[in-house]
Amino acid sequence: MTPNAQTHQHPSLDDPRIMLDDQIGQFEAVPPYPPRTEREAEFYSLRDGEMFVNMGPQHPSTHGVLRVVLKINGEQVVDLDPVLGYLHRGVEKLCENSDYHHIISQVDPLEYVSSLFMEWAPVMAFEKLLDVEVPRRAEYIRVLTGELLRVSSHVLFQGFMALDLGGLTPILYSFIERDEIVETLAAITGQRMLFNYFRVGGVNGDLNHEFMSRLGDWMSRATKQVEANVGLLNENEIFVRRMRGVGVLDGDTALRMGASGPNLRASGVPFDVRRAHPYSVYPELEFDIPTRGAGRGGDSLDRYLLRQDEVRESLRIIDQCLHNMPDGPITARLPRLLRPRPGRAWAAVEAPRGLYGIYAISDGTDQPFRMKIHDPSFVNLQLVGLLMKNNLIADTMAVMSSLDPIMGGIDK
Amino acid sequence: MDRSLRTRLEARFADRLTGPVRQRHDATEIRVRPADVVEVLRALHDDAELEFVVLADLCGVDTGTHMQVVYHLWSAKTPDWLRIIADGMPREDPRCPSLTGLWPGAEWMERETYDMFGIIFEGNRDLRRIYMPPDYTSFPLRKDFYLADDAARSPGGGVRHMEQTHVPAQATPRVVRRTVKA
Amino acid sequence: MALTPDGPGEAVAPDPVAADAPPAADAASDAGSALVAASTRDVAQPIVVPNTLWTSVRADAYRSEAQADTHLRELEGSHLALSDTRRWGQLEVIPTKADLLVDLIRMNSLWPLLSGLACCAFEMMSAATSKNDMDRWGMFPFRASPRQADVLIVAGTLTTKMAGPLVRLWEQMPEPKWCIAMGDCTCSGGRYKRSYATIEGIDRLMPVDVYVPGCPPRPEGLIYGMMKLGQLVKEQRGHWPERRVGPTVPADI
Repeated sequence: MTPNAQTHQHPSLDDPRIMLDDQIGQFEAVPPYPPRTEREAEFYSLRDGEMFVNMGPQHPSTHGVLRVVLKINGEQVVDLDPVLGYLHRGVEKLCENSDYHHIISQVDPLEYVSSLFMEWAPVMAFEKLLDVEVPRRAEYIRVLTGELLRVSSHVLFQGFMALDLGGLTPILYSFIERDEIVETLAAITGQRMLFNYFRVGGVNGDLNHEFMSRLGDWMSRATKQVEANVGLLNENEIFVRRMRGVGVLDGDTALRMGASGPNLRASGVPFDVRRAHPYSVYPELEFDIPTRGAGRGGDSLDRYLLRQDEVRESLRIIDQCLHNMPDGPITARLPRLLRPRPGRAWAAVEAPRGLYGIYAISDGTDQPFRMKIHDPSFVNLQLVGLLMKNNLIADTMAVMSSLDPIMGGIDK
Repeated sequence: MDRSLRTRLEARFADRLTGPVRQRHDATEIRVRPADVVEVLRALHDDAELEFVVLADLCGVDTGTHMQVVYHLWSAKTPDWLRIIADGMPREDPRCPSLTGLWPGAEWMERETYDMFGIIFEGNRDLRRIYMPPDYTSFPLRKDFYLADDAARSPGGGVRHMEQTHVPAQATPRVVRRTVKA
Repeated sequence: MALTPDGPGEAVAPDPVAADAPPAADAASDAGSALVAASTRDVAQPIVVPNTLWTSVRADAYRSEAQADTHLRELEGSHLALSDTRRWGQLEVIPTKADLLVDLIRMNSLWPLLSGLACCAFEMMSAATSKNDMDRWGMFPFRASPRQADVLIVAGTLTTKMAGPLVRLWEQMPEPKWCIAMGDCTCSGGRYKRSYATIEGIDRLMPVDVYVPGCPPRPEGLIYGMMKLGQLVKEQRGHWPERRVGPTVPADI
C-alpha cells in the first residue's frame, strides 16, 4: 500500500432492518479478506478521491456474467479488475470423464455464438491422435458452415457493440441476419445453436435441399445486406467519436499479451491461424487477411471495422466452397467406440474471436486423459485492464465490447 | 514435421533438454526442467532463427505421479507448433517460474493453472483464483479430485452409468494412415 | 512417465458444494426393479433443499402472505395500505371484476429482468427481437434493474459462484414476481449435472413457476412458456400459497 493511502472501510450498518443478511461481505466490491497478492493489494487500496464501482455479474451488457470492479477518480477509471468464474461449469473436468464423441457436445457451449469452431479444434486433435484423414467433401462442408457461422458471429458483434453504446436498433438487424443463418444451419444440423455437428473424421449430415435453398436465398442478399448494415453505423458521428482513439493497442503489446484474432489484426499484426498454420482446405482457398492500424495501433473503431472486413472475406470463402464442393463421403470410416493410442495432440483453429486451441492427451482408453481448452476470449479479456487506464467510465463498454468477449468461453 | 527444426533445437538447447525432441504430425515437442523454463522460452523468443513470438497456450497437466506445465508456441520460421513440457514437478508442492516477465498475457493462464491444479508460479504478481470462489479449498482438475458420481475412477464406485457402453479389448486400429512428409 | 491416473488412493474430502448432488447411489440401484414394478406413482414430497447460500432470517420468507417485519409495518397494520395478496379483507371472496382486470393487466405486461447467463440468453434475445417478437405480448422492456421487473427469466447455467448474486436478484424483485427456468441447465442441471461447480436446477434456490426445457429451447418455446405464465397469472389470481422451493420429482426417478 502506498503511503498516504486511505484504506477502504466497510460501511457501518446501524439499522438492522436495512440489511437482512450478514453475508453482505461477499457482495461488496472490496473482498472481505486481506489482500493475498501484490496486485490485489495495489488495486484494493484507495488514494484520495478514489472509489470503487462494481459492475456486477448482472448488468445490461449482453456479454454474459462478468464482474468488473472499477477504481474511479471522478469520471476517470484509474484501474480495473475483472472477476471471472460466474459461468465456470467445469467443462475440462467433464471432458476427462466423457467419451470422445460426447466431448463434441460438451465443448459446444463454450463460445455458444460460434459453437462449430468449438467443435472443430477438438475434432482435429482427435483426428491427429487417431491418424485419421478427413474426406475432402467433409472438409469443405466444415469450412462452409464455419465461415457461415463466422459471418453470424461478426454480425452479432456489430449489434452488441451498438447495444452497449446505447443504440437499441442495430441489434434487431443483427438478429435478423443471425436468425436466418442459424435456420440455414439448422437444416443440416438440426439445432439452432449448439450444433453438435462435427464428428471425428467428418461431419454428421450431408448438405440437403433445404440448406442449399436457404443458403442460396441468403447469399443472394448477403453482400447488399452487409453493406447496408455497415452503412447503418459507420457514418454515425456519435458512434465513431465514441470509439475513435479509445483503447489504442499497438501490435507488440498485443502479441506480448497473447491476444489473437481480430483484436490482434486490428493492431496491425497479420496473424491468422488459417494462413499462419493452415488446416483443413484453407490452403486451396483464396482470401486475404485484413489488418488495420499498422504502425499506429488499433483503437476500438479499428476493431469494429476489421470485423466487417472479415465478413467480406468470409463471403468470398463461402462462394468458393459452394463452387468447388467435391463429391464423396462426408465422414471417414471409424469404429463406433474410439480408443486412440496413448499420445498428445494440439490443434488450433481460427475462431471468430481468435486462436482457439485444444491440447488433448490420450492414455489409450475411451476417455481422454486431459483436454485443455485454450479460449481466445479468455486471453483477450486481459487487454481490458490494459486499455482502460485513464479512460472515462463510459468508455469501459466501448473497449470491452470491441474486444468481443463471450463469457461461456472465458469461464469454460 | 519439420526435421530442420529438430536439429536446430537439439543444437541450441542440447544441455537443457531432458528428453529427446519428438515430432508427430505438425507438432514438435521438447522437455525441460521447470527451473529452465524462463531461460529456454526467452531464447526461443529472442533468437533470430527461431523467433517464437506467439504464446498459444499455457496449461497444467496432472499425470497422476507428478505435475507438468505445457506451453505451445508458434513461429513464422517453421511450419510446426512447438510444445514445451516442463516436467517433473512433485504433486505436493508444484512450483514453476512465471512467464509474465516475457509474455504478460500469461498471467491469467497461470492463474487458471493455479486454480485448477495448485501449481505455484513464482513471479506472478497476481496468483489468486480466477474461476472458483476465493475461499475454495480444492483444486478441481487434479486427479485426486473426483466428481460426485465418477464411477470409473473413484474409490466409491458402483454408481450406475446412464448408458453402458461396450468396451472393446484393444485400441482402435489405424484405419487410414495420414501420409505426412517431413 | 506413467500416464495412468492414480489408483484408488485416498480421495480428497469432497467440497461442500459437491455434496449438493443428492446421493443417488442407493436409490438408483433399486430403481431398476422399482421402475418395473411400480404401478402407482405417488408423487413424493418435494425435496426442500435448505438454501444454504443465502437464508433470510425470517422463517416465513417464502410465503407471500407473510406480514413481514418491515418498515411498513405500521402502515400495513392500519387499513390504509392494500396488500398485494389480500383481496378486500381476509375473507375468501369470489373474485371480482377488478381482480380480473388487475390480473389481465399484469399478465399482458410482464416485464422480464435481463438475466441471461449463458447460451439460452441468445435464444431469449432471439425471442425478443424482430423475428419472434415478444413485444407483441408486452414483454419488450428487459429491465436492467430488478426493482422494476416482474419476471426473472433465468437463462443459462447457474454456477455456485453466481448463485449468491442470483438469489439476491430474486429477493430484490418486489412482489408480485414470477420465475421462469429456461433451458435444461436451470430446470435440472442439464448437461452439467455431474459438474462440481453448477447448481442442479434453480428450483433449489427459488420457487419456479414455469420450466422451459431445451438446450437451448427454441424462441417459440420460450414464448410458449411466457404464455403459460400469463395463464398462470390469470388463474391463480395472485394467490401463491404453495410456492415451494425444491424439485418435485417422483421418488424413483
